Amino acid sequence: MNKLGTVIAFTMRNKMRSKAFLISTLVLILLVVIGGNVPYLINKFGGDKTRSVGYVEGQYPEIVQGLRTLYAKQEKPDVKLENGASDEKQLKAWVEDGTISGYLTFTDNPAIGFPSAIYHSKSALGSDTSQSLQIALQEIKNDFVLKDAKLSDEQKSRLNAPIAFQNEQVTDGSGKTAEEQGTAIGLTYVIVILLFMSVMISGQLIATEITAEKSSRVMEIIVTSVSPLAQMFGKVIGTFVVAILQIAGIVGALVINLNLPHNADALQGFGIRLDTVDPAMIVYTVVFFLTGFFLYAMMFAAVGSIVSRTEDLGQAVLPITMLTIVGFYVAMFGLTHPDSPLIVVCSFIPFFSPFLMVLRVGLAEPGWWEIALSIGILLVSILVLGWLSAKIYRTGVLMYGKRPSVKELVKAMKAYKV
Amino acid sequence: MNPLKVERVVKQYGDKTAVNGLSFEVSEGEIYGLLGANGAGKTTTMRMVLGLIFPDGGDIRYFGKPYSKEQLSMLGYLPEERGMYPKIKVSDQIVYLAQLRGMSRKDAEANLRKWLDKFQVPEYYDKKVEELSKGNQQKIQFIAAVIHNPRIVILDEAFSGLDPVNVELLKTTVKELRDNGTSIVFSTHRMEHVEELCRNITIMHKSNPVLQGPIREIKKKFPQERVILSADAPISGLETVPGVVSVVRHEHGYELKVREPETAQAVLRHALAQGPVRRFELMEPTLNEIFIKTVGENHE
Repeated sequence: MNKLGTVIAFTMRNKMRSKAFLISTLVLILLVVIGGNVPYLINKFGGDKTRSVGYVEGQYPEIVQGLRTLYAKQEKPDVKLENGASDEKQLKAWVEDGTISGYLTFTDNPAIGFPSAIYHSKSALGSDTSQSLQIALQEIKNDFVLKDAKLSDEQKSRLNAPIAFQNEQVTDGSGKTAEEQGTAIGLTYVIVILLFMSVMISGQLIATEITAEKSSRVMEIIVTSVSPLAQMFGKVIGTFVVAILQIAGIVGALVINLNLPHNADALQGFGIRLDTVDPAMIVYTVVFFLTGFFLYAMMFAAVGSIVSRTEDLGQAVLPITMLTIVGFYVAMFGLTHPDSPLIVVCSFIPFFSPFLMVLRVGLAEPGWWEIALSIGILLVSILVLGWLSAKIYRTGVLMYGKRPSVKELVKAMKAYKV
Repeated sequence: MNPLKVERVVKQYGDKTAVNGLSFEVSEGEIYGLLGANGAGKTTTMRMVLGLIFPDGGDIRYFGKPYSKEQLSMLGYLPEERGMYPKIKVSDQIVYLAQLRGMSRKDAEANLRKWLDKFQVPEYYDKKVEELSKGNQQKIQFIAAVIHNPRIVILDEAFSGLDPVNVELLKTTVKELRDNGTSIVFSTHRMEHVEELCRNITIMHKSNPVLQGPIREIKKKFPQERVILSADAPISGLETVPGVVSVVRHEHGYELKVREPETAQAVLRHALAQGPVRRFELMEPTLNEIFIKTVGENHE
């Protein structure tokens, strides 16, 4: 046990001292600080910008007039109509030089008694401006039609008022509100990304380090001083602690920034409230994070041990990288479909369950036995894979030359009696 | 009780035998030479002694006890392929390796300083390994093998790639270790080092021990068939002496191959008849010759 501690301490010390680690941590924290303030910045600068829109009124001056009155009534209009263009050619030139964002033209549409409007701008896709124009035009059309119906103003406003519609989750306890759901999606997203990144980065680091020890032949001395098991787990645990410290720093920076008063308001505007986070979610996150990390770290360690040259490593870890990427993308799909059979099935497959069970806990309502079963399967596979990885490691570190095939590896295992 | 006793160890890799029934013993304060061509099974033998791989048959005893994890701290190993962590400070990695061998941090630091002083490079303590020259990296590697005061040290090609000054320095150090009672298993291709350092040797060939015993006795088994002769005046007609196989004239004398030691006396008489002889020696076979003879003969 003492030697395990020595390996852990050595691994941690060298990681934390390396310039690459310090710089990358600082850069990530800086990015998080900037990212944490993005909601505030969007609100500040993006929200109330007024865009200029030109028009060719043709035979419908009353529609353009209607738009004008409508936007004039708004407190902070996001569209301003620019007149003075003689023809479409000039409008096009204005779009080119940025004087206006785009312009409207109208064509007859006798079927509904209201002309079709076309918004011309640099982007063919809908924008906030085109949406705003569409809503405004809809209202004007309603006014046109209702003019003859002789409705009172009160009736008109009742007709125009949008209906209330809300999604609520069905659960045995109290359902999640939209606000909670929004927070859960955001949180799950962050957790899945963090897990994916730390597994990939730490896993690659572990594999690279082991291969480097092998190719620099320092391995020969180490394997004669300490049992391969202590060495492998020391490295995995050491890297894990460093990764956790790094993540703690980053998450800490993020939480502090999100809780700053100006950001908290902005977040609430997006329907994300940090105080609605379920404590059980945090516990499950930690559990799946731990298990997921160790599962992958051990596989990376085993692969690192069978490769003798760092150049060959990328190819050798590809299968594991693919596994994490598949898990990640299935999880991304699951963010919007947490109850699909694919997600449910994959949440029991050990390589994917760290990503997907966290997602289901956050977004769906899996039964407690489902969570327990998933964790159980995960723990058993960690034990099995840990045992297998240790065996591979024990054999791999002594094998030099070209990357061994599975057959050669099994043969060597028998020969070394591991 | 001898520190290291290897008894009839056998190791097979699949259907290939790597070591076939090798036995030897190393006593306290002895350097034991393990010789053999490339692929003869030396490294496998050393790995078995180090406990990295277990023999399929036979037995290895350390001070009479079988292998266990406790044995690790009394073993020191200098692998043939050298390597350290290039980007880590000398002190950090040597202390780490010493700690893995069960030494306390403080003792390891003190011992490292002592060794660096001994090699007259105390300033390397805070240097990274990649900043050192190859020869100096070797010194650091050597320190890594012996820092924890092991009772049994395994040196695989200890002096390869060193300049003559450093070879001398390390050779002196190895002798000091021997005189302090350390048992050393020594493998090399340089026969003159073996002759200088080792008492007993094993020559391995294709997994089998082919020649074993004290160097002096091994040499006695091989006939003396080389004669060095030098005189003031040139000597003619040496090749006509019966029993002489070949004559090579060097700048300062002759080197003759004779069929049997008795022929040498006839050569001496022949030379004396022509004038005074300054040097006459019936040479023992060198280990180099013995090695080539033993291994080379059944080399395919």
